[in-house]
Amino acid sequence: MRRLNIIFSFLIVASVIISACATATPTTVVTEAPAVPVTEAPVVVPTEVPPVVEPTSVPAAKKVARFIWTQEFDTLSPIYTNMWFVSVVYPAYLCMPWMFDDQNAAFPYLVTEIPTADNGGLTNEGRTITLKLRDDIVWSDGEPITSADFKFTYDMLMSDKNAVNTRSPYDQIESFETPDAQTVVITFPDPYAPWLALLFSGSTSGTPIIPQHILQPVFDAEGTLDTAAWNKAPTVGCGPFVFDEWQSGSFARFVANDNYWLGRPKLDELFFQFVPDSASQIAALVAGDGDIGTFFDYPDLPTLEKAGVKVVNSFSGYNEGIYINMHPERGNPALKDVRVRQAIAYAFNREKLVKDLLLGLTGVAATDWDKSPWVDPTITPYPYDPDKAKALLTEAGWTDTNGDGTVDKDGVELVLTYGTTSRQVRQDTQAVAQQDLAAVGIGTELQSYDADTFFLGYQDDGPAATFKIDLVEYSDSPDFPDPNTAIWLCSDIPTDANPAGTSPTGLCDEKLDGLFQKQASQVDYAARQATFHEITRYIFDQAFWIGIWLDPDLFGFSNRMLNVKMSGATPFFNLAEWDVSQ
Amino acid sequence: MTRYIFRRLLQAIPLLLIISIVLFVMMQAMGDPLATMGGRKVTKPEDRIRLARQLGLDKPVCVQYIYWLIGNDWTRPVGEIPKPNAGIFTPIVQCLDPRNYIDADNPGTRKGVLRGDWGISLVNRQPVTKVIGARLPNTLLLMVTAEVIIIGAALLIGIYSALNQYTAFDNFVTATTFVLYSMPVFFFALLAMYIFSVNFRKWGLPYLPTVGMFEPNVGQTPAQVLWHMVLPVATLSFGFVAGYSRYIRSAMLETLGQDYVRTAKAKGLPRPEVIYIHALKNAALPIVTLVALDLPFLLGGAIVTERIFGWPGMGRLFLDHVERSDTAVVMGIMMMIAFAVIIFQIIADITYAWLDPRIRYK
Repeated sequence: MRRLNIIFSFLIVASVIISACATATPTTVVTEAPAVPVTEAPVVVPTEVPPVVEPTSVPAAKKVARFIWTQEFDTLSPIYTNMWFVSVVYPAYLCMPWMFDDQNAAFPYLVTEIPTADNGGLTNEGRTITLKLRDDIVWSDGEPITSADFKFTYDMLMSDKNAVNTRSPYDQIESFETPDAQTVVITFPDPYAPWLALLFSGSTSGTPIIPQHILQPVFDAEGTLDTAAWNKAPTVGCGPFVFDEWQSGSFARFVANDNYWLGRPKLDELFFQFVPDSASQIAALVAGDGDIGTFFDYPDLPTLEKAGVKVVNSFSGYNEGIYINMHPERGNPALKDVRVRQAIAYAFNREKLVKDLLLGLTGVAATDWDKSPWVDPTITPYPYDPDKAKALLTEAGWTDTNGDGTVDKDGVELVLTYGTTSRQVRQDTQAVAQQDLAAVGIGTELQSYDADTFFLGYQDDGPAATFKIDLVEYSDSPDFPDPNTAIWLCSDIPTDANPAGTSPTGLCDEKLDGLFQKQASQVDYAARQATFHEITRYIFDQAFWIGIWLDPDLFGFSNRMLNVKMSGATPFFNLAEWDVSQ
Repeated sequence: MTRYIFRRLLQAIPLLLIISIVLFVMMQAMGDPLATMGGRKVTKPEDRIRLARQLGLDKPVCVQYIYWLIGNDWTRPVGEIPKPNAGIFTPIVQCLDPRNYIDADNPGTRKGVLRGDWGISLVNRQPVTKVIGARLPNTLLLMVTAEVIIIGAALLIGIYSALNQYTAFDNFVTATTFVLYSMPVFFFALLAMYIFSVNFRKWGLPYLPTVGMFEPNVGQTPAQVLWHMVLPVATLSFGFVAGYSRYIRSAMLETLGQDYVRTAKAKGLPRPEVIYIHALKNAALPIVTLVALDLPFLLGGAIVTERIFGWPGMGRLFLDHVERSDTAVVMGIMMMIAFAVIIFQIIADITYAWLDPRIRYK
């Protein structure tokens, strides 16, 4: 027994020492090159979120912003991840031609100006986009950032040796040229409207560039970047911070990049503590063990605000809603009648749901593009009006002839399958909707799936992709801040011949299809906006999509944080200006 | 005994093989790892098809298992194989088609588990051994500490209660253990966190940290790690101490009533010798079984506790990678635990023989 105790004691001591001494890659911040004064960085105005604190005469301690992050990074390489929890951090250690500000407007970052037709950046009827790079931009090791880095990133995305997360929209590029070190010329076969949101952009849908001088030798030696050490330890970057350390499951740390071409950031360190449990995240923020958190459940917001945590809504294009299954063969015949679809919208008391379930902290969504300039401004959500819903059902021939509480027609009861993911707020929403719809005689069968099952593709017999569900609830924001989406195109309906289709509705509407094809090639903003006003009005009137709630990203900041501004497209766009009160 | 151990190890080989097949097949029902890839956006279908091909996920499950087991560095391209149209029997038809085993778009480099290659994680493209190796020390630190405290505290409480049956202390311990034993781990953990971290800080008292292994401003020192272990270890220990102490109390009460104990007392042996040498040794047999069953699962970590306290251990690793349907990592963890269960069972058998000379293995 004594020997056993000795062994256990030894194990504990050894483990403590190993854990304490375990360090990942050491920092490789280079401090040789002089910092360049700020030239075109966004104008930073102290946010109204936290109070400004006067500096004191006490020697300054290290300024650390502590993030409580509920999902650990999978990789830090932008070409290998699909995680939102990684892409929002890109502005810390990577760089892009442009980012989006708190109005979701693009501003130049690596380029001298945003390409437009007026400045010659957008030519060939919108097919060719020319990026003019600044001449003072450098990687954190002092190497200049050139057009070769853009070409290398493009080549790596398109190489079949790399299992990258997405090739969109790079797989549509016709030619990619770099006539000189500061010029990148990209040509699409057709005018490509969403380029600003997707092409190397700073939005969470975009892909920042990767360093050729670091990764080309790795690719040459290993034949792939899939297992490159840089993916987990990008010790050379180009943002205001540079990667320092990442301990699996525990934390990741980025330190100030002294070589940042816009000047050293105000913070010394960004510390990401990985805490997967949302209740623990709240406790850590309330206790003051963290400064920044995100992805809160609405019921937790009062607790946070009571503890002095400022919650900021950041609209990033996500609006929760119900896609109606309109598939010609597999869709429920009752839903082919617009009056039945509208009856669902009138019967579902979404105002009450938002007030009770989401504490009135967001609003009811009318269209999938709400809170963007692409929505017809005259659209307002369908009001809660059960009498109108009943009248519409009666007008459509649906009445309760057998007195069982559910309307029927030609001997068929109106019972719809209603499916979504297992996210708690969605399941709660289903329960509320079921009660509301039952009150007007519409029956529902509720289904909930794990997200990896719910979003299975057509070839894998996914429930939504194969149109087994009548009412499909989720939110997506594929190209935000661009409004483009392929899901309403006839050509995107999944079939045996086209298993890659993405349409969740199975709808092939000639008018809608024409409008979506038209907008995809409209590079003129005003013309495209007019097309989208027509699209949003048509989808709303036809009730092809029924909005439930506006689903902004929720971020919480402790009252230590200063100068924070948020953008839906590039949430941490002004990270270099963030500061903490000591 | 040596022959017995050797035979048990040999028996373990087919057992592990069967376990691996069952687990591998079950993993295929965990969803599509490419559906969202941990993101908020649905993976574009053309990317999903390409990634399935590049990562070998478009192969029939039996082919994927064979590649996992023996690698695919022996394969060579044979061109596209049309998918048979055999309804629900399609997977079986594919498994029986030898072309599926030698076909590879890119002849592979995997060596397979039997040659020590546990594969690459789908989540972070890191070798499985590296992914698990980064977490194992943290889990062992937490779990071994908790197990030592559990066994030590349970022995003390159990023996004391047995020796002082129906006293105020025994009644108090009995009531407390029932309360603790019936309390869910997540509830105890969050309660402890809110009391000792959040509210103690609010009340101006010395407080414990909420999450993590150290304060970023202080650094990862042994003192910081120990300080951050207090709440997770307490959470892991409370229920087990309650349960184990009841087992020990019962076993000791039964043993203390045996004739040989009475004889030992009658012979005038010192009380500590009667209790700790004669009684406890026999009473320990059921405890050995319990501990031997628990020890292998120490490697698996504690999913709830690690999740709540943000402790970077195996439990969280397992959960994170199950959620992403990462077959390689999940198989690595499960096979490691399966192997440990077999080894600890053999150790338990050996310990039985040491504790009870009547037991002999052939």
